[in-house]
Amino acid sequence: MEILRSLYEVVWFIVLIALGVGALEGYFYYHFKFHDRRWFFPAALAAFPLAALAVSAPLSAPSFAHWLWFLGAEAVVAAAFRWIVRGRHTLPYLLLAPAFVGLALLLVYPFVFEFYLSFHDLKLTTIMMWKNTGRIPFVGLDQYIKVFTTSPLSEVTFWALLGRTLLWTFTNVFFHVLGGFALALLLNNSIRFKGVYRTLLVIPWAMPQVVAVLAMRGEFHATNGFVNIVLGKIAAAFPFLAHLGVGPVQWLSDWPLTTCTIINIWLGIPFMMVVILGGLQSISSSYYDAADIDGATYFQKLRFITLPLIRPVLMPAVTLGTVWTFNNINVIYLVTGQAGGTEQADILVSALYKAAFTYNRYSYSAAFAIVVFALLFFISVTYLHGFDAAKEER
Amino acid sequence: MLRKMISAFNAELDSLSSQLKDPIQRRRLFKFLLVHLVIILAAAVCVYPLLRIFSVSLRPGDKLFSTDLSLVPAGATFKAYASLLKDTMFLRWLWNSLVITIATSVIGVSLASTAAYAFSRFRFPGKKAGLILLLSSQMIPAGMLILPLFLMIMKLKLMNTYLGMIIAYSVSSLPFSIWILKGYYDTIPRSLEEAALVDGTSQVGAFWRIILPLSTPALSIAFLFNFTTAWNEYLVARVVLFSSKQYTWTLGLFELQGQYITQWGMFAAGSMLVTIPVLCVFLYSSKWLISGLTLGSVKG
Repeated sequence: MEILRSLYEVVWFIVLIALGVGALEGYFYYHFKFHDRRWFFPAALAAFPLAALAVSAPLSAPSFAHWLWFLGAEAVVAAAFRWIVRGRHTLPYLLLAPAFVGLALLLVYPFVFEFYLSFHDLKLTTIMMWKNTGRIPFVGLDQYIKVFTTSPLSEVTFWALLGRTLLWTFTNVFFHVLGGFALALLLNNSIRFKGVYRTLLVIPWAMPQVVAVLAMRGEFHATNGFVNIVLGKIAAAFPFLAHLGVGPVQWLSDWPLTTCTIINIWLGIPFMMVVILGGLQSISSSYYDAADIDGATYFQKLRFITLPLIRPVLMPAVTLGTVWTFNNINVIYLVTGQAGGTEQADILVSALYKAAFTYNRYSYSAAFAIVVFALLFFISVTYLHGFDAAKEER
Repeated sequence: MLRKMISAFNAELDSLSSQLKDPIQRRRLFKFLLVHLVIILAAAVCVYPLLRIFSVSLRPGDKLFSTDLSLVPAGATFKAYASLLKDTMFLRWLWNSLVITIATSVIGVSLASTAAYAFSRFRFPGKKAGLILLLSSQMIPAGMLILPLFLMIMKLKLMNTYLGMIIAYSVSSLPFSIWILKGYYDTIPRSLEEAALVDGTSQVGAFWRIILPLSTPALSIAFLFNFTTAWNEYLVARVVLFSSKQYTWTLGLFELQGQYITQWGMFAAGSMLVTIPVLCVFLYSSKWLISGLTLGSVKG
């Protein structure tokens, strides 16, 4: 905590000084119209640290770090003055400022902090030391090496988790798109009760996810769940199916990943359906009329009209869906995370959460998170790149 | 509504019997039946778990674990609801959730609305970098930010408070909201603002009087999205809140689903009470939701 506290105070101190000096400086710049001159930047960069140093030198001996701080702060003030306060872009920056200040504090700063943690060793045994002295042992790349060589939980390795995650993501997104597309096609017919059907079909998406997942988990319960009751009844009614192995299954303990996947497919189809339905409704019917005159079959129309025209809607949704599925901690954690849950269903992000908050390996999980982030970033960039390439082709 | 549906279905049946003779009509009938059958099956799969929760919440206390599949169990009572409201702090939990969620959503939407306007209408250095930052923020694993956020909130002495939760949640759906709103603003013709500028408003005035009122659907989608995200969140709440008086409903329901004894009846009753309002809001706004989700992307 000590390091955070001192960091906090230093940052506040600097911010206060920068605000005061910046205001003073800005007044001078504004008054003498300095900021349009060509020598504005060099002069400001040179003059300010000298002045600041003259003020602060009696307080503490100036060091190289001081110089750097002053120089950096001055660069920020001068740049802010030139481009934000007096520049052409004042309004957009002011409009953006609240959102980006929020993002910087609550998203970028934690991210950087995790990065810092990932090179140190913060775990249950060192956290007290950190609290008291503000120091954590620096370990360099050790945590990163450990990510690839040891298990984040008790037995599963990183590579197994990676494979499982890719399988999980692919299966889920595939069935989301397939199911969503099929239902959207059906709903896009002019049928009766369309509104009622659509309403009923989005219910899994509309329900609070915690409730939905826990309810589905109940349905997969070994003796009281709907799935096993029905399977048991089928097996009782058709003995030859029972010989083939149809019957109640220990879903949660023997097939946890399958169970999670089924639940997540159930949860994710409505979103895709809604997005695709919106896309389908924006396709003009004249294309289909023309194809009908040419005698195209249903599947030809699907292949050559619907699919290409739905692409611009589908691709962003699939990208977003892939990222969300990859990062989906809810389903797996809620199904297996409680007392005595198995590790057989864990994917990268749920292992990460458990490593941090069940096993208290903070630094390790920080390194793990950075690796996962890099991986996901790489995947999505390739994905989007492919999308752009396909768009240009068109 | 039910009566209307039934009479419509009867009319359908009447016309069917006359159509059966013609082969083209027969094929159409077959298609009709198939489409409806598949959709009804899918709808059943979607709705059934919700109905099951309802049925569990009605079960009398001694029959919670049964293999009974009927939707209204024998000896149905509302006792679980009564004891949930009386014996637990459920209403308090709902209130906590509501305060936190509404504050978060208002903050999130107002921040997003101005930022999206900047992205939609202006060209400035750093625009592309900003958009990429928004997109890549979606790739940060959920578990990653919790520890630093926790330390920050502890540092600010906001553990176990509304304010701490609101701060922790406020930006979580900001990138997505900005993205949606930007897509919507892009579809509003610039000429509207230009006309207003000619008439003498400032750019901010044009945004306030023209763009914001016109984008009510997108704003409500962003609000809804913020609302549901915060309403359903529990990973951060689990770390920040520790006294059961301050719990949000997610944590409260978890508490009912204890480690060894699960209060299934109360759990189901609580789930129903939480789900129904959200479901109503969601279904009411689903039309806007569809148009808003696709608008930004249709342009490709």
